[in-house]
Formats: sequence, C-alpha cells, structure tokens
Amino acid sequence: MFQGMNFAPAQLPPELARVREEVRDFLNQEKDWVPNSDFNAGACPDFSKRFAAKGWIGMTWPKAYGGGERSFLERYVVTEELLAAGAPVGCHWIADRQSGPLLLRFGTEAQKAQFLPEIAAGNHFYSIGMSEPDTGSDLASIRTSAVAVEGGWKLNGSKIWTSNAHLNHYLVALVRTSPPSEQRHAGMSQFIVPLQAEGVTIRGIENLAGEQDFNQIFFDDVFIPDDHVVGEPGNGWAQVMSELAYERSGPERFLSAFRVLVEFGKSIAPNPTEAQTRLYGQMVAHLVVLRRMSISIASLLEAGEMPDNEAALIKDLGNNYERWVPEMIRLQQPDEVSEGFAQALNDCVLHAPSFTLRGGTREILRGMIARGLGLR
Amino acid sequence: MNEQQQLMASVTRRILSDHCSTELLDQAEQGQYPEALWTLLEEQGLTTLGGFEALGGGGGDFCDVLVVLREAGRYALPLPLAETLLGVSVLSALGVALSDGPLVMASGQFSLDADQRLVGRGARIRFGRDAKTLLVVAERDDQTVLCPVLASQVEIEPGVNLAGEPSDAVVIDQKIETSNQIVLSGEGLQAIEMRGAAMRSVMMAGALEEALSLTVGYALERSQFGKPIAKFQAVQQQLAVFATQVAASTRAAETLMVTQPLNLMDVAIAKARIGEAAGLSAEIAHQVHGAIGYTKDHRLNHLTRRLWSWRDEFGHEGYWQEHLGRELLADTKTELWQQITAMG
Ligand SMILES: Cc1cc2nc3c(=O)[nH]c(=O)nc-3n(C[C@H](O)[C@H](O)[C@H](O)COP(=O)(O)OP(=O)(O)OC[C@H]3O[C@@H](n4cnc5c(N)ncnc54)[C@H](O)[C@@H]3O)c2cc1C
Repeated sequence: MFQGMNFAPAQLPPELARVREEVRDFLNQEKDWVPNSDFNAGACPDFSKRFAAKGWIGMTWPKAYGGGERSFLERYVVTEELLAAGAPVGCHWIADRQSGPLLLRFGTEAQKAQFLPEIAAGNHFYSIGMSEPDTGSDLASIRTSAVAVEGGWKLNGSKIWTSNAHLNHYLVALVRTSPPSEQRHAGMSQFIVPLQAEGVTIRGIENLAGEQDFNQIFFDDVFIPDDHVVGEPGNGWAQVMSELAYERSGPERFLSAFRVLVEFGKSIAPNPTEAQTRLYGQMVAHLVVLRRMSISIASLLEAGEMPDNEAALIKDLGNNYERWVPEMIRLQQPDEVSEGFAQALNDCVLHAPSFTLRGGTREILRGMIARGLGLR
Repeated sequence: MNEQQQLMASVTRRILSDHCSTELLDQAEQGQYPEALWTLLEEQGLTTLGGFEALGGGGGDFCDVLVVLREAGRYALPLPLAETLLGVSVLSALGVALSDGPLVMASGQFSLDADQRLVGRGARIRFGRDAKTLLVVAERDDQTVLCPVLASQVEIEPGVNLAGEPSDAVVIDQKIETSNQIVLSGEGLQAIEMRGAAMRSVMMAGALEEALSLTVGYALERSQFGKPIAKFQAVQQQLAVFATQVAASTRAAETLMVTQPLNLMDVAIAKARIGEAAGLSAEIAHQVHGAIGYTKDHRLNHLTRRLWSWRDEFGHEGYWQEHLGRELLADTKTELWQQITAMG
C-alpha cells in the first residue's frame, strides 16, 4: 500500500527458544542490578565483557571478525531478553547495534579486522557522534570539521549529548571534510575517533535525573589517521543514514517502561480492580503488537533490506507507548506500593522525556512517515 | 499470507472494487438489498468459505475467511458476508450440513420449553432481516442449543447500527424438531464469540487501510492557502499518526490470518488494539477531510461509521482488555515477560 508500512507477519523460529533459555540462565546468574529496561539506564563494562564471552555481541557478523554468523532474529531474541531483565547494557549496546554493522558494511578490510573482534570480545565500546551544540534534528548542519594533513586529518569542533562517551573507547563522528555547498548532504565523512586521543576533552553533562550519562566532547586539533576514516571520505551522509534502520527498529524503542509494567502487574495481581485489569490488558495488547512489528522488521533486516521508514514508524509508535505507560500506571497504582515499584515508576517518569528525543525526535520520525505516505 | 490467500484477497478485491460503489452503499442503507452482488459472491464460492466440503461448504480454513473479510471491510460491503461465514464455521465445526444462506447467528433471550417450542426475542441482530436461515442460540434446561430457523417464519423489528446496517430485533415463537436442536458446549459458545471478534478485527483493519488511502488522497488533492493541505506539517504529522495506527492494526489482524487454530489471546489483542486504533484514526480522517467528510454523500462516512460500530460489536476494547488482563494476572506463576514471549 504505502511505502514504509511493510510489517508482514514473521515468526521467531522455534529453535530460538534455546538461545532464549541460555540468555535467561545467564541473566539469572548475573542479576545484581536494580532492573531498568531503558537501554540507556545502566552501563557496566564487566557485565558487557562477560556477556560478550557468551558470543552475544556481534552475533550476526562473520566469524572472521569475531562474529557468530547468526541471524538477526536470533540477535533480536538476545537483545529483548537483556532489556526485559533490565540488565545494564549501556556499554556495548551502540557498538553491537550500529557501529559494528556500519564498519562491516563500509569499513576497509583492515578496519574490520582491527575493530570488529574487539567489539565482539566486549573490549571496546562506542559512542555516536552526530549531534552538536547547534545541530540536532537538522543533522546536515554540522560544523565539526576536519582538514586533510599529512597521513590523515586534523579535527576541530564539538559533539554533544554523546551517551557514555566518558566510559567508551571510540566515537564514530560525522564531520565536515569539505565546506558546505549547494548540496547540503555532500562533503561529510565518518571518523573513528579514539576518545583517549590527544586533543579530545570530554565534559560530563548532568541530566534532569541527576545522572551523568551524556557528555559534550571537544576536539582541538585532533589527528585522525587516514585508516580511521570509515568508507569513502565524502560519503558520510549516506553512511549515517544507513545506520538508522538498526538504530530505530529494535526492542529498546518500546521496552523502556517495561519494568514499570511488571511492577504494576505484581502489585495488582492479588486483588485487581476492573480498571486496573483493563489497563493492564490494554498495555500488554499494545506491547505484543509492537513486539510483533519489531520482529517483522528484524526479518526484513535478515533478508538484507533497509527498512528505514518502518523503523521510523515503529520507533514513533513505541516511544509514545513508553511515555504513555508510566502516565497511566501512575493513576491506577494501588495505595501501597513496594520500594521497587515506586523506584521504577519515578525513574521512568524522569527519563520519559528522552524517549521521544533520542535517536530522532517524534516530529522528525513523523516527517519520515509522511514522506513514505507521499505527502512530501 | 500464503500465495493462495493473496490470490483470494485479490479476487475478492476485484469484485468488490467493481461493485461496492458509494451509490450501492447508499442504496443499501436506504433498504435496497444488493441481491445481485450476493449472488456474485455465492457464485465465487465466497459465501461458504471455511465450511467443510462434505457438508456443503466451499473448503478453505478460517484464516482464508479472515483474508476475505478484510477486503469486505475495506469496501464496506453492505451484505451479511461475515455473519454468513460465522454461521458456516459454526455449523461446520458441529458437523452439521450447511443451511441456505445468508446465515445469521441470533442470540438473545431465547429458550426452548418442554414442548420443544422456541420462544423469545433477540435484539441487535446484524442483517437479521436479510437472512434466509437464522441460527438461534437458545437455552434448553441447563444446556445451550443451536436451532436453524427459517427467517421467513420469524418476526423482525427493524433497526440499524451506527453504520446504517440492519440491526434488527428478532421475535420467535415456533416448534423446533429435536433433530434441529444442536447442543453447543461452553467451548463452542466461546468459539463463536472469538470468531466474531476476529472477523470484526480484520474488517476494521481493512476499513482503516482504506480510510488512510482516502485521507492521504484527499490531502494531496485539496488546496488551501495556495497549496495542497498535504504540504502543511500539521497535516502531515496527523497523517503519520494515522499511519502508525493502521500499521499496528494490520499487523494485529494479519497475525489472525496466519495462525491456525485461532486462539483467544491473539483475538483479544487484535480486537482491543484495532478497536482503539479505529477511534483515533477515524478522528484524524475526519479532521483532515474537513466539512466534506462530514457529509452523507462522501464515501468516508461509510468507513468511519462502520469502524465506530464494529469496534463495539463482539466486545469493545474494554471487554477484551479486561479479558486479557484477567487471564494474565490469574497466572501468578508465570512472569509477564514469559507470558509475552510465549504469545509469539
Ligand atoms: C538521552 C539522550 C541521549 C542522546 N544521545 C546521543 C548520542 O549518543 N549521540 C548523539 O549524537 N546524539 C545524542 N542525543 C541527541 C539527540 O539525537 C537529539 O536530541 C535529537 O536529534 C534532537 O536534537 P535536539 O535535541 O537538538 O533538538 P532540536 O532539533 O533542536 O529540536 C527541538 C524540537 O524542535 C522540533 N523540531 C526540530 N526540527 C523540526 C522540524 N523540521 N519539524 C518539526 N519539528 C522540528 C524537534 O522535534 C523538537 O521537538 C541524545 C539525546 C538524548 C535526550
């Protein structure tokens, strides 16, 4: 019918039940965290390292680069189990989800051999360097720029809102490598920036919940060797766009509030009112459909497609769900609730504003959906 | 959907797009039963779909029925096709030869007394007046029985639903042969409700897809302030929300079209989720259409009024949400996440 609305039913093959059980067993043994299903909420390098040892980072990549050559659907199962358990996934999440696949698609042989095995082993964590102080939704307006020098590039400028840059090893930064021209999307490149490199300064920014999870990064004459340029210089825009389907379609786009739902269910189960029962059923109905849509996209990815518009659509639907869940539960919660419930709900209310911003705002996503409808 | 289902969908679509004009819909609403179109559907075998061939059915399974009914929803087909196919599936499941269609299920306050007289009244029987055979659900002692009754022998008090579809009261007082009293189990009764809700779900999904097409088309056509209203960001954002609702509805509906046998949880999810989408989407469809969409002449109302009716029929969202919530909460041994992943 319209572009970007292909959510043909897809089933998780029954044999994936095994990997699901393995992940559950692993998580049950590991569990020493306060569960939070927001992928941005917890980051623990040691956890990510042990997780990687199970072969669950880079699991779709070729074995030659440390991957597992497993399917996207299998990866889907692993990632959703992590989120449902509220595990601290923040360290490896971005590298596994998009930096690795980006390098796999556009990187040179040497880059793949150098960087991917370290990601898959849980040794190296990555951040996304897109936003800047004057650049948010209008990504093509970036000003961070690099000029060619002997053997590489000299980088100057600043990135902002960079999640976990203070914990991670690398940043994949979108930068200008030629001055802006009539063609807005030309002249950009992607660099792999070692965050410990000389001239890189990372300054933490406190979010409204009082945590430091994002940062501003300053580049002051940072030397980037040629072999740290991803793909072709000048091809940055096309490359960054190719990350979007991975970035937007996964279960992290609708599971952020999941622990609140779990706590709510536990608290009402002994003696639910009709209104509570209905709300619970309503929230689960939404969740099951979102999950099925996300699995449909995972199978498109498995088939080698790039479902950017579908990804935008499910992210918008999922993010709105994540924002709606705590609001509704707030009004139907029992008079007496457990510590765990109160904390999950408060956490979710405080972080909810970020759900519809990070990874592309609600308005930008709807603009993409509208384009798929042929309206623009 | 498999290839055969796709073929069936496209055949149905071709027939309905040729025949379900706005004119025909208007005439049907004014009481002119589109007999010729029914005959055409009969000739194509669509009115006995999902019934065992040995019992006079057209073969195929309930998934096929749902595939066809999504198209019926898309074109706002003003005929008792869903009602008939529900009857076909019920009779077939009972191993009873199909009666002449159109078939319409009739439940309400019906009982069979010791003299085998079926007495009572049922309200809001969709297409009651157009049925050839009514399948009456009646209480007999502590059992529930199904009695096929010739519609010509009952009294009809005409009414309509929000969509202007016949929604009649049926009054019956007549003797029924014991051979025409078929015992229904509790499961059998639940299966009727479940299938009915599945049918309305996919019909809503079809109507929603069509309403989105109509609305996008209109936004591109209609100009104000010197440009198509589709170019206003406020309108684009509304239509994007509409699209998300339609995509979710389609996904929920298609689960039913590929799952054999149908199960109650999937149906509860679909009816609750699509019913919710129906209200939200109809609101946006009308907002974007402006005043013209608020007229009886415009095709949109044939879709939106059906959406408003169908979301209430066979259990509204609240009913199914509650069903779902109750089932999930009752099983305290299984964690929510396990319940969700078990649903697939
Ligand atoms: C928790 C969190 C983590 C993040 N992590 C990262 C990260 O790791 N790396 C990274 O690069 N970025 C990150 N971001 C930044 C994120 O990508 C941006 O917030 C987002 O792209 C929006 O940019 P902005 O905040 O500058 O808002 P703006 O683009 O200034 O937008 C402000 C408002 O205006 C609206 N708006 C803007 N343009 C339009 C338009 N054309 N039409 C309609 N409305 C419009 C927006 O929708 C929004 O509502 C993170 C953000 C958050 C909140």
